[in-house]
Amino acid sequence: MTSAPVLLEMRSITKTFPGVTALADVNLEVRQGEIHAICGENGAGKSTLMKVLSGVHPHGTYTGDIVYQGEQVRFSDIRASEHAGIVIIHQELALVPGMSITENIFLGNEPRKRGGIDWKAAQRRALELMAEVGLQEDPDTLIKDIGVGKQQLVEIAKAFAKDVKLLILDEPTAALNEADSRHLLDLLRGIRERGVTSIIISHKLNEIEAVADTITILRDGHTIESLDVKADGVNEDRIVRGMVGRELHSRFPEHTPDIGEVFFEVRDWTVRHPISADRLVCKGSSFDVRRGEIVGFAGLMGAGRTELAMSLFGRSYGVYLSGQIFKDGEEVQLRTVSDAIDHGLAYVSEDRKAIGLNLLDDIKTSMVAAKLSKVSTRGVVDPVREYRYAEEYRQSLRVKTPSVDEGVTKLSGGNQQKVVLAKWMFTDPDLLILDEPTRGIDVGAKYEIYGIIQRLADQGKGVIIISSELPELIGLCDRIYTVFEGTVTGEVTRAEADPEHLMKQMTSTKKTPIR
Amino acid sequence: MRKYLTRSAALIGVAALLTLSACGSEREGTAAPTAGGSAAPAKGFAADGLIGVALPSKTSENWVLAGDLFTNGLKEAGFTSDVQYAGASTTVADQQAQISAMVTKGAKVIVIGATDAAQLTTQVKQAKEAGAVVIAYDRLITNTPDVDYYIAFDNFKVGQLQGQALLDGMKAKKPEAPWTIELFSGSPDDNNAGVFFNGAMDVLKPLIDKGDVVVGSGQTDVKQTAIQGWKAEGAQQRMDSLITSTYNGDKKLDGVLSPNDTLARAIITSVKGAGKDIPVVTGQDSEVESVKSIMAGEQYSTINKDTRKLVAETIAMVKSLQAGTEPTINDKDTYDNGVKVVPSYLLPPVIVTKDNAAESYANDPKLAPLTQG
Amino acid sequence: MSRIKDLQKNLFGGTTSNARQFGMIFTLVAIVLLFQIWTNGLTLTSGNLIAVVSQYSYILILAIGMLMVIVAGHIDLSVGSVAAFTGIVVAKTMQEFALPWPVGILIGLAVGALIGAWQGFWVAYVGVPAFIVTLAGMLLFRGGNQYIGNADTVPVPEGFRTIGAGFLPEVGPDTGYNNLTLLLGLAACAAVVWRELKSRQTRREMNADPAPMWISVLRMAVMVGVIVFATLRFAGGRVGTSLPISGIILIALVLAYSHYTRNTIGGRHIYAVGGNARAAELSGVKLKRVNFLVMMNMSVLAALAGMIFVARSSASGPQDGLSWELDAIAAVFIGGAAVSGGLGTISGSIVGGLVMALLNNGLQLEGVGSDMVQIIKGLVLLLAVAFDVYNKSQGRFSIIGSLTRPFRRDDPSPPTDRPSPASDSDKAPVAG
Repeated sequence: MTSAPVLLEMRSITKTFPGVTALADVNLEVRQGEIHAICGENGAGKSTLMKVLSGVHPHGTYTGDIVYQGEQVRFSDIRASEHAGIVIIHQELALVPGMSITENIFLGNEPRKRGGIDWKAAQRRALELMAEVGLQEDPDTLIKDIGVGKQQLVEIAKAFAKDVKLLILDEPTAALNEADSRHLLDLLRGIRERGVTSIIISHKLNEIEAVADTITILRDGHTIESLDVKADGVNEDRIVRGMVGRELHSRFPEHTPDIGEVFFEVRDWTVRHPISADRLVCKGSSFDVRRGEIVGFAGLMGAGRTELAMSLFGRSYGVYLSGQIFKDGEEVQLRTVSDAIDHGLAYVSEDRKAIGLNLLDDIKTSMVAAKLSKVSTRGVVDPVREYRYAEEYRQSLRVKTPSVDEGVTKLSGGNQQKVVLAKWMFTDPDLLILDEPTRGIDVGAKYEIYGIIQRLADQGKGVIIISSELPELIGLCDRIYTVFEGTVTGEVTRAEADPEHLMKQMTSTKKTPIR
Repeated sequence: MRKYLTRSAALIGVAALLTLSACGSEREGTAAPTAGGSAAPAKGFAADGLIGVALPSKTSENWVLAGDLFTNGLKEAGFTSDVQYAGASTTVADQQAQISAMVTKGAKVIVIGATDAAQLTTQVKQAKEAGAVVIAYDRLITNTPDVDYYIAFDNFKVGQLQGQALLDGMKAKKPEAPWTIELFSGSPDDNNAGVFFNGAMDVLKPLIDKGDVVVGSGQTDVKQTAIQGWKAEGAQQRMDSLITSTYNGDKKLDGVLSPNDTLARAIITSVKGAGKDIPVVTGQDSEVESVKSIMAGEQYSTINKDTRKLVAETIAMVKSLQAGTEPTINDKDTYDNGVKVVPSYLLPPVIVTKDNAAESYANDPKLAPLTQG
Repeated sequence: MSRIKDLQKNLFGGTTSNARQFGMIFTLVAIVLLFQIWTNGLTLTSGNLIAVVSQYSYILILAIGMLMVIVAGHIDLSVGSVAAFTGIVVAKTMQEFALPWPVGILIGLAVGALIGAWQGFWVAYVGVPAFIVTLAGMLLFRGGNQYIGNADTVPVPEGFRTIGAGFLPEVGPDTGYNNLTLLLGLAACAAVVWRELKSRQTRREMNADPAPMWISVLRMAVMVGVIVFATLRFAGGRVGTSLPISGIILIALVLAYSHYTRNTIGGRHIYAVGGNARAAELSGVKLKRVNFLVMMNMSVLAALAGMIFVARSSASGPQDGLSWELDAIAAVFIGGAAVSGGLGTISGSIVGGLVMALLNNGLQLEGVGSDMVQIIKGLVLLLAVAFDVYNKSQGRFSIIGSLTRPFRRDDPSPPTDRPSPASDSDKAPVAG
C-alpha cells in the first residue's frame, strides 16, 4: 500500500485568522487508494485543513502549496475543487429534506437534455449509484423520510455522481448508531477496493484503528506525526499519546479547594432525543457534586454532555424519560427553567451568542435578565438597583467596557463570557454548570475566568465544567467524570487524572465501575 | 445651582408665554352653532365660497364622471371646489377624514355621496356645527338630524322600471309563462340597494305569487341576493354558483334582475363562461360597456340616470344656497332617514333598451356614437 | 462645539432605535411645518388637530399592541377584522337587549379577550406561526362580522358614542378655553418637569453624571412649550369641543404601556423573547406565556379600537377595520421597530403613526386624492425603513452626527447615555 503513488501533498500550509494561527506549517501526504485518517483534539486544525483543501478558504488566504495528481492546484472555491474530483462531506449533511434521493444526488449537477433536466437518465444513474453504496430505497423517497445512516449514504452517492477521486468525510459516524457506523466503515473499505482515496476525520479512535491505513496527527495547528497503521503497529493508546502529548503549562491560578458535603446528586438520568424517539441522548447517567467542588465532564463533541446539562436544567433539552435529582438530600422536580433557577441551578451555555445572550441588549440588562425580581419592586424594575448590581459585577469581574450601558455586541468574547457569568452569578446559584466556558477566548481571559470559577467554589458553590480541552479539566477540576455516548463512563480524582487515561475512557463504551 | 434654577424657570416661562401669545383661542369670533340643525341658513355666502364634494371610491364610471362634472361645473359657477374620492380599501374611514378636512377648510356646502350611509353621523354633525350645509347626493345619509337636503333619481321608480323591463324582455323572447329568473341586489350598506330591490319586487312579486315567474334557486331574500360593495367579482361568483347548483342540466334561465350595469356584465360573463344562452339581464347607470353590450344584443336594458342632470341640479341647489334662497324641493315626505324626513329633489329615471337607445343618448357625447348602428 | 456634542450625546445619542425615533420626530416636525405653510395655517388650527386626534386615535391604539407583537417577533394581521367583529357584536347586543352602554364596552373588551385567547393559544401553545393564525383570524372574524351583522350597518346608542366622538365637558368659569383641558395640560407640564428632575436624581444615584443642566432646561422648555401649545389648541376649539375622549384614552394607554414595556419585568420579557427566544427561555422566561399574553393583549386593544371607531361612526358597518392592520404595522416599522423583533418602542410607534396621520391629513387638506395619498404613504414607509437599513450598514447611528460630519475632524466618541425616558414618551401623544 505504501508503495502507491502520492495523490495529494499539502506542503507547509499556514492559515491565520485575526489573532489566531489555526494552521502552522502543516504537511499532509495522501497516497493513491488509501484511507487516511486525521486525528487531533477539538481546535487542533483538522477542519481548517480540510477547508483549505476543498477551496472553502480559497487560494491566497493561506500560504503553502497543494500538489494534487502531480500538479500544483489553486482552488478558488468549492466548485473548483469538486471539478478536480475532491468532494467533502460535512458533519451537517448538505441535503434538502423535502427533495427525493434522486434530486439530492444530482442537486447542482443535474444531467441535462435540451435545456431541461433529463430525469430518466438521472433516475437510472441514481439507481446504479445507490447500488454502489448499498442503499436499498425507492429513489423517489424524500430525504426526510430516511434515517441519518441512509442519508449519509446518499451523500456518498452524491459524491460518486461527481466522479470523486478524493473523498473527505468529516466525523461521518458522529450521528450514527453502531450498525449504521459499521455499514459505513465497510463501505469505506469497498471504496478503497475501487481505487478511490478517502480522508476521514473522526474522534472515534477505535474506528480509525480499524479502518485507516495511515494516520496524521495534528495538535495546536501543527503536524505532529504521520503513522503507518500496519507497519508501526498503531493502537488507540498510541494515537492518544500523539493527540494530547502536550505539557501542561501552569495556566491556572493557585487554588486550594475546600470541599464539603455532597449536596447535589443525579441518579439514572435518561433522556431521549427531542425528535427521534428511539435515540437516547442520556442513558442512565449518575453523578454527584460536593459543596466547594469543581467537577469536570470530559467527553468528545457529541458525547452528550451538553444534552445532559441542559436536560437537568429545567428539561430544556430532549424528552425526560426517567431519573432523579436530589438537592441537599431531598428529591426535587425541575420541570421548567424557572424551577431550576429557583432551586439554585445556573447553566452557562456553550454557545453564548446563539442561546446565552440577547445580542440586542446592553450589558446591565443582560446581567440582571435571569432574575429580574431581584431588582424589582412589585414588578417594576428599579433602574438604580439594576445599575448598581451591574456596576458591581463590572468591577469584580473586570469587564472591559467604558460603561454598563454599552451593547453586549461591542464586547470581546472573553468579556461577553464574563457578562454571561455575571448574569448567572446574579441568580445566587448553589450549582453552576459551565458549558465550554473558555471556548473562543484568548489565553489571558481564560486565566481570569479560571480565577472566577475558583472563587465561586470557595464561596461554597458547586461548579460543573464541561470542556473538550483535557488540560483545562485536569488543571482546574477536583474530580472528572468521563462521558461517552450519553453515559457517564468513569470518574477520576484530580490526583489520578492523566490525559491518556481520560481519552481512553472518552472514546470507548467500556464502562469502568463508578467508585 | 440657584442661578441655574432661576434661569431655567425663566426659560420655561418664556417658552410658555411665547406659545401662549402665538395661539389664541378660536372660540372668539366663531358663530354660535345653529340650534338643532334647522334647514337653510338665513343668508347666503360669498360667491367664491368653498364647496366640498365627497364621493365613494372610484369603482364605477358614474362616480368618476360625477367627480369631473362637479369639478368643472362648480368652477364655471365661480365656486372654489374640493372633490374627493374615498380610497379603494379604506372607504369609510377615508371619507370621514375627507369630510373633516373640508370642514376644517371652511366649506360652505358639502355634497356627500356616502360610502356607508349610516356611519357619517359625527362628521355631518361637525359640518353642521361649523355652519356648512350638507347635501346627500344619490345616497341618503341616515341616523342624523344634520343632513339638509337629499338629491337623487327616484330610486323606487328605478326598481319598478327594472322589474317591468325584465318582464317585457322575457315576453318578447318567449311569450308563454312561466319564466325562470334569478334576483340580484346591490350592496347591503347602500341605502339605495334596498330601494331598487323593493321597487323591482313591487312589479315582480304578484307574478311570482301567481306562479308565472319562478325564481329558479328560490333565493328571494335580499340577504341572499345582495352583492357586498357592488363588486363585479361578487356577482360573478354568485352567478357561477347558481349555475352550478340550479342550472347545471338543460334547465333554462330566462331572466336575471341585476341592479346595475357592472353587476349585469359580470352576470353575463358568468353565463357565457358556462356556455349557456344569455338571459334577459337588466341594468342601471348607462355605463359605456353596457351600452355597447345592449347594442350587441347581450344585456337587455339599462337605466339612464343622467349624471349630468343630477350634477347640474345639485349645482343649481348650491347656487340658490349661495344666494340665500330656498332651493327647489319636490318631495317633502318620502325620505325618512330614521331621525327626520329629509327634503328631497327627485329626478325621473328613463329605461333604455336597444330600441330607444339612440333617442335616449342623443345628447350624450360619449354614448351617442355607440348607438349609431 | 462641545455644546453640540453634549446636545448630541444627551438628546440624540443612545441606541439605533433612539436615533431612528429622533429621526422620525424630526420628520414629524418637518411634515407639520410643511403642511402648516402649505395649507396657510390650517394644519395647526384647533379644529384640525381635534379632528386628527379623533380620526387616528384608534390606529394609534392598534399600533401600541402591534409594537408589542412585533417586538416579540410576531405579527398580527387580524386586528382590523377583530375590531369589526367586536364592533358588530357590541352594537348588536346593545340594540337587541337594550343594554346600557358601559355594559356594551365591557362586553366588547371581553370579546376581544376571548378572541385574543383563541389566537394566543394557537400561537403560543400549538406553535402555529402568528402570521398564519392571524391570517386565518382575519378571514374568520371578517366573516363573523358579516354573519352577525348580515353585512348591514347597525347604529349604537348616544351614550356609547362618547368614547369615539365625545369631548370633555365645559365646567367652571368662562375663560375662553375648555377648562378641563387646561387642567390636563397643566398637569402634563408638572409631570414633565418632575420626570426630568427625577431622572437627574436617578442618574446621580447611579453615580453617573447627569446631563448638563442647560440641556435639561432646554429639554424641559421644549416639552413644556409643546404641551402648552397643544393644550391651548385643544382647549381653544369651538365651544363643546376639547381634547377628544378617544385622545384621552390613547394618552392613558400610551403612558401605561410605555411604562409597562420600559420598566417592568413583563415588558423586559417581551423584548427578551423577541431578541433571542432560546436565550430568554434559558433565562427562565416563560416563553409560551409571554407569546400568549402579547397576542391576547393585541386583540383586546383591537376590540377597543373597533369600539372607538364604531362610536365615532355612530354605527357598526361591514367595512369597519378594512386594512387597519397595514396602517398599524406601518406605524410600528416607521417608528423604528425591527422586522426580526426585539427592538422598538411604544413612543416610536406613536410618532410613526402620527407621521402617517399628519401626512394623510395634510394631503387631504390640500385636496390630494386618496390614490396619491396611498402612493405617498407607501413611499414614506419604504424610505423610512430603507434609511434605517442604510444607516445600519454604514455603521452610522446618529442623524445629527451625519449632519455635522462635514464640520468635524474627529469622530464623536460613542454616545453612552440614553436620553431621559421622559423626553419621548410624553412628547409623542401631544405633539399632534
